[in-house]
Amino acid sequence: MGANAPPRPVRALHLVPIGSLPRSQAEDLAARLSRRVSIPCQVLASLPEAAVARLPGRDQLNADALLRDLEARAPDEAVLLGVTPLDVGIPIFTFVFGRARQGGSAAVVSLARLDPGFYGLPPGPERAARRALSEVLHELGHLASLRHCEDASCLMHFAASVAQVDVRGSAFCASCAARLPGWLLGPVGPGRDP
Amino acid sequence: MKILVVDDEAIVRESLKAWFEQDGHSVDAAESAKEGLRLCAQGRYDISLVDMKMPGMDGLEMQARLAAADPDLTIILMTAYASVESAVKAMKAGAYDYIVKPFDPDDLSLLIQRAADHRSLRAENARLKKSLEVASAPPPMVGSSGAMKRVLELVATVAATDATVLVTGESGTGKELVARAIHTQSSRRYNPLVVVNCGALPEGVLESELFGHEAGAFTGARARHKGKFEAAEGGTVFLDEIGEVSPRVQVELLRVLEEKVVTRVGSNTPVPVDFRVIAATHRDLPGRVKEGAFREDLFWRLNVFTIEIPPLRERPEDIPLLAEHFLERFTGAMSRRPMRFSPAALEALRRYPWPGNVRELQNAVERAVVLGTGTAVEVGDLPVHVAAAPGSSGPGSLAEAEKAHIRMVLGTSGWNISRAARTLDVDRVTLYNKIRRYELKRPENGS
Repeated sequence: MGANAPPRPVRALHLVPIGSLPRSQAEDLAARLSRRVSIPCQVLASLPEAAVARLPGRDQLNADALLRDLEARAPDEAVLLGVTPLDVGIPIFTFVFGRARQGGSAAVVSLARLDPGFYGLPPGPERAARRALSEVLHELGHLASLRHCEDASCLMHFAASVAQVDVRGSAFCASCAARLPGWLLGPVGPGRDP
Repeated sequence: MKILVVDDEAIVRESLKAWFEQDGHSVDAAESAKEGLRLCAQGRYDISLVDMKMPGMDGLEMQARLAAADPDLTIILMTAYASVESAVKAMKAGAYDYIVKPFDPDDLSLLIQRAADHRSLRAENARLKKSLEVASAPPPMVGSSGAMKRVLELVATVAATDATVLVTGESGTGKELVARAIHTQSSRRYNPLVVVNCGALPEGVLESELFGHEAGAFTGARARHKGKFEAAEGGTVFLDEIGEVSPRVQVELLRVLEEKVVTRVGSNTPVPVDFRVIAATHRDLPGRVKEGAFREDLFWRLNVFTIEIPPLRERPEDIPLLAEHFLERFTGAMSRRPMRFSPAALEALRRYPWPGNVRELQNAVERAVVLGTGTAVEVGDLPVHVAAAPGSSGPGSLAEAEKAHIRMVLGTSGWNISRAARTLDVDRVTLYNKIRRYELKRPENGS
């Protein structure tokens, strides 16, 4: 979203569970994320579902409204990462996995469609967690002013389906990695799995 | 790609703009059809997404205006109200596609990818057509004489029609060139031009070549073979030396021309074919009709539009132009330095009667380029009979002059030995002996 804004300095990641996201799941995601970035990742207090705008006539949270809300709350030099087990959408799209503005201070990620159970498949918590990390890193890439990448195996490749989320894996391609800020390169380094 | 989003809802414009920008596209957004048309008038876009329902001018009307202003623009209509009727309306109005709001991200992503592929294929198709036009363009028909200008006018006139054309003229005047020019200027130009030299093939072979044959139709016919008429589907068949066709094949040809169907040899099933015929001959076809050697009905079927190419000797003003044209072409093809004709060489070219017409002139210039060492073509670089043509100042021995003179007389008599012998005032045996001694050879037949 938005123009190709320069990345803002980021010194901390704050994960905000939205709705009924179990604390343990939020902690697990924060731990996985911590292993990929070089700044602290901390889980904040949950935001109740009732506090978030919904899309009229659709059983979905309004991702754009939620993003605006989180951006308004984001402290200086920190990113607010809203994570919800609920399905999210925007007026023009039937759903989105996540939402972030290029160079923005907040991102939204929905775990609903990343869960194999959403598609009637047996539960797969590990697979869902890997997908969640992939989607979070993708949105953080946008916050770092990256656009979508044509390389289908790059984290910045646009995924319109969960299959594409799986295909793009968990690493930035060399070209995108070269444009990442230091905090997102993480202790593991560019282009490598955690 | 450059994308224009036209929608009266701000949320739609903003969301799509952001979404496309994340994919690296350059996006402009307009809140009304009027604003969208203004933006389109200012700059070119690759794809435009237009909402069907907008106050003022609706998407369908805008689509029609955009398509009229920029036929290359790919237009996708958006609507919140899915109905077969509106989809049909959109597609009939020429939209590339139609998408219902809210979009599934995958659907929009695929649609944009497909539109981009479509645009790239269309651009590639246009490029290929252009290069095909350049590659398949016949050599230019050169001539400034009134006679050649008239020929060029006739070519342009008849190319715009689907009429059968009969091209007449002496050997070497460029009858095939005229046929190619007609084909490449016609609406059939992207389909094949199939050339058949009717004079070069025996009757049975010609029949099979023209109409095709079934497997086992005759000894050696192992597989089904499509004939030239079928091979030219949608294009043009050039029947060269039509005057040489046997009476039996003439009957078959007449049927094919009248009914536009061919029946392969060994088959009873007629196959409809779409072709245009251009025929050519160096013979006097009406004379052949009078002699009973050519069917009158076929003659009239072919003689819908006649183009007669005058021999080179009747348009001497074209000689320097053609000679310079060939000189430039051959020096280029042989990677030689640019050359020019010396005044004496040009004068010799002008005086020679060119019985072999343009083809003979072309061969003479090619030979001169091969032999020439400097930047000028001298008289000595020309064939002896050209250099020694009456009135020219070409050098040569008595024998060379005799050879050149005999060649010229043979040429002007169309290699009629009796007539040439009478002109030269020698008997036929003497003439044959001299032809042998000087190794003179009859120019090849054909246009």
